[in-house]
Amino acid sequence: MHLFNIIRRSVFQLAASDGTKRRFFLIMPSRVITCRTLVLSAWLNKDSSPSATEKLDLDGWKHVMRSAQQEEATERTSQSEEDSPLAVTRELIEMWRLSGRLVPENISEEDFKTLNECPTKSSIRKYLKFLAIKENRKKADREKKEKRNEANKERMLNTQENAGGELPNTFLPKFWTRSQDAVYNWRAAQSMIFGQPLVYDMNYENYMSRREMENTVKQLMESEGANRRALDPFHLHYCNLKAGGPYHKEFVKRYGEAWDKLFVTVTEKSYVEVFPKDQLVYLTADSPNVMKTFEHDKIYIIGSIVDKSMKTGLSLANAKRLDLATARLPLDRCLQWAEGAKNLTLDQMMRILLTLKDTGNWKEALQFVPQRKHEGFVNMSSWSKEQIDTWKKTKLHEKMAGQRKAHKQFAQNFSRRQTQKNWWEDVS
Amino acid sequence: MVFFHQTSSLGLLKSLKKSHIFYPMPKHQQMPIVLGCFIFTSSYQCAKPVDPKRIRPGTTTLSFKGKGEGIRETRVGKDYSSPRPFNLFAAGASKRRSGPREAIEDSERSILSRRITLHPPEKPLSAGEWEELKGQFEGLRKFELLMFEQMIACNSPIDVAKSLLAAVANREGDIQYSILLKYLCLCVSQGSTEEIYDVHDILKARFKTLETSGYGLLIRGLSGTPRWREALSLLEELKKVMTPSKSNYGDCIRGALLNREINLACELFHEMLAKDLVPNLDTLQIFFDTGRSVKDDILKTELMHILSYLRDNQVYPGEALMQSIKQWFESIPGENWKGSLTTIKHSGQCPSCNQSLESINLSPEEYSTLKERIIKDVIQGTDTFRKTTPQELEEFQTFVNQCPPFDIVIDGLNVSRVYNKAIPSQTLLNVVSYLAQQNPRMLILGRKHMLKKTSQWHRNDMAALQKKAHFFFTENLSEDDPFLLYATLHSGSHCRFVTRDLLRDHKACLSDSLTRRLFFKWQRGHQMVLSDYIPGKRIKFESVLNFDTIVQTTGNTWHIPYDDNVLKRSSYEVPTKWLCLQQK
Repeated sequence: MHLFNIIRRSVFQLAASDGTKRRFFLIMPSRVITCRTLVLSAWLNKDSSPSATEKLDLDGWKHVMRSAQQEEATERTSQSEEDSPLAVTRELIEMWRLSGRLVPENISEEDFKTLNECPTKSSIRKYLKFLAIKENRKKADREKKEKRNEANKERMLNTQENAGGELPNTFLPKFWTRSQDAVYNWRAAQSMIFGQPLVYDMNYENYMSRREMENTVKQLMESEGANRRALDPFHLHYCNLKAGGPYHKEFVKRYGEAWDKLFVTVTEKSYVEVFPKDQLVYLTADSPNVMKTFEHDKIYIIGSIVDKSMKTGLSLANAKRLDLATARLPLDRCLQWAEGAKNLTLDQMMRILLTLKDTGNWKEALQFVPQRKHEGFVNMSSWSKEQIDTWKKTKLHEKMAGQRKAHKQFAQNFSRRQTQKNWWEDVS
Repeated sequence: MVFFHQTSSLGLLKSLKKSHIFYPMPKHQQMPIVLGCFIFTSSYQCAKPVDPKRIRPGTTTLSFKGKGEGIRETRVGKDYSSPRPFNLFAAGASKRRSGPREAIEDSERSILSRRITLHPPEKPLSAGEWEELKGQFEGLRKFELLMFEQMIACNSPIDVAKSLLAAVANREGDIQYSILLKYLCLCVSQGSTEEIYDVHDILKARFKTLETSGYGLLIRGLSGTPRWREALSLLEELKKVMTPSKSNYGDCIRGALLNREINLACELFHEMLAKDLVPNLDTLQIFFDTGRSVKDDILKTELMHILSYLRDNQVYPGEALMQSIKQWFESIPGENWKGSLTTIKHSGQCPSCNQSLESINLSPEEYSTLKERIIKDVIQGTDTFRKTTPQELEEFQTFVNQCPPFDIVIDGLNVSRVYNKAIPSQTLLNVVSYLAQQNPRMLILGRKHMLKKTSQWHRNDMAALQKKAHFFFTENLSEDDPFLLYATLHSGSHCRFVTRDLLRDHKACLSDSLTRRLFFKWQRGHQMVLSDYIPGKRIKFESVLNFDTIVQTTGNTWHIPYDDNVLKRSSYEVPTKWLCLQQK
């Protein structure tokens, strides 16, 4: 065995240096195969006593591999070798899959194009991972569906067997989703005439990557759906939506024919042209003003942007440019914030605003803030008391109290002077 | 402390958490004791009530202060361990500022260390025994892979891995690529040449192409062996599918240098730099190590090229590379170099050769480009409205142009919040009065809300400040730091600015790394940091460095800053230790 190894290795080195490995495998002596059978038989006949470990043939696997190799080699020479970059990439991905990396099994042409446009190694890796996860999810969904279909079939069979009794007597015919949709649509149509406007600012196309844009459209669809189901929907405006722009294309792709039948006002105009300026309030997490109550005569604007990379102050800059009022949700005031950014998704925003519109209750509205981001609601009364207690202990408070006293006296004097003056004026 | 019962340690923790008592900062002898109760609670159970996941920086359970005092306090807190005078940009400064929190994180890590479930066997097992072992871990789908990973982690003997391979081959008649890779990884880490050869041959025969990690491992494994040229051909194959990484190149260069192929190594090195890869420090170290034994002009010029590369890209060698450089210089025949390790004084003079180091001031061209870029990238950016408004920017520029150049520009808000137990306007007034002693022309930048009469901004303080310095108030929504930078740059290179901000976010706004480096150099030379402030007692500014921390030469001397192995250096810090080489 050892002798054979030594011979083989030397031959191998020669082969490697000549660069004629493949041919070498083709003319490899059949001895290896006999060797394999020998090894295998040795394995089959082995006893599992501890002494066997000493006699273990540790290099057996190499022969197994080599004999497997030989068949492969014959296969491979018959193939025509293509070295186009496309094929190379496909092969690389296949090998990555074999090495246990998270890559998809089959890639569509469109995805392949996107993959080729990836600028860096890490972006390629991330995109492949994304595709792989998507693929796995699809597979799982398909399996679930099949299971469900089978269960349904079984149930149908059972019911058919049990059928034959008298028909049930009902007050209503079966309530189809169609009729539900009709109700929703009536409501939405009503809101188009009488509802409070809510503007989505679609001005951020150029600030987003493709994926962020797709996510935005998905969130917009979610929020449109949530709005339609509400008791008193908003009248949605998609402002600054460029016809033929990426947003528009994506909408048409996702909604299909329903895009033209949506109860939403879509316009290329800016919100400043559509509405009076003093009624507009731009909602942005960077705003210095905290929203205290929901006002029914104001028109709120939500910037439709998903920023996976922190783009701070983007929507605030827009509001500044047009000189609009801004506001942010009172997240700090009402919640014990734990982690995560304070910019919420568009559909969460929509649900919060709808709830506020209906009830005006912050606690109820802010239930749509993801649970992971906060540790419960602030108990306002006890919290403020505690704060005041600790604060009173500090020296600063004493100083400030003194100041306040001085201010008060000054103010009193000032007001007295004012009244006197008025009195004089009256006299004169 | 070891016999401190666990429950009592928890009690201690709870009391620490609840109490609002102002604990003094622990002295260094006390530290390990307090942490001891953490370290010896090795089981996860008793750490549960503390819930380490919930520990957020700044609210550590082991905070030695009440909740009223924030982190800022710790930063101001006196730092006995740091060498005086202390510098904000010196390596390890941030770690020192963060104080005892680091140690707590370490102890957390020890608590949360994953329990290893799979233990690779000591001796090779037969196929049957492997099956038995696999049976014990029912439900583990990738038993073989996980086992190999554990073997790599524990550095098991190769024979054990071989026996597992044999068992797999015996069962399936084939071995997966992923398992072969793991085995190869084990062989490479143990440097068993014969096995690497075999796996290489098997892989090359079985698969038409490999993938990045396979190529990487084979290149690493082969580069140190007599068959190192095959690593080069593997590198060529890898180039077809992807840009090789810096370690791939590094391994090939190592192979070439070990076999005295200087030209080849240089070619590879240049190719690597052309692809914008930053070489690993140990690759550079091998160049210098080879230089000691090979006396060759090509190599010498290459080594000089490496030193200039370190200079141009502000790469600082580690301790090992520094030693190699030192030994190489000392081994050059007939040049009589002598190296010594020093720290440089604040005057910028090297204590061992009395040479003055390069000044930190920028050249006029660099200065003007930096000024332009600050306006273009930092203040305006893609949208002027994000940080300011065009109107305000114009206002500011006319203001700066009308005023004569300033000597000191102060970030009013930053300085006023240095000491959180005092009223901000008073703090600002104190600091400005202290600075005004030498009669400099000062500019204070603030925001408009400072003008409102509030409990924090007193009218009389502001009036006193108006007498001492010029003011510019930005809108409350605007950022004041970019204006601070521009005002300082506009006044000329004698002008300094006062803030504690590290300005990292503004540095990041600059689009290319060269300008970022310029900015950092300018920042180090012009930023005054208020390091210590107690009202009415002590005001202390860190002295501004007037020499540049960069690899530099005067022909017959070299000064090379290096990172020592102990201190972790943040990206916004520079090393403090130097290698001084002089020709006698």
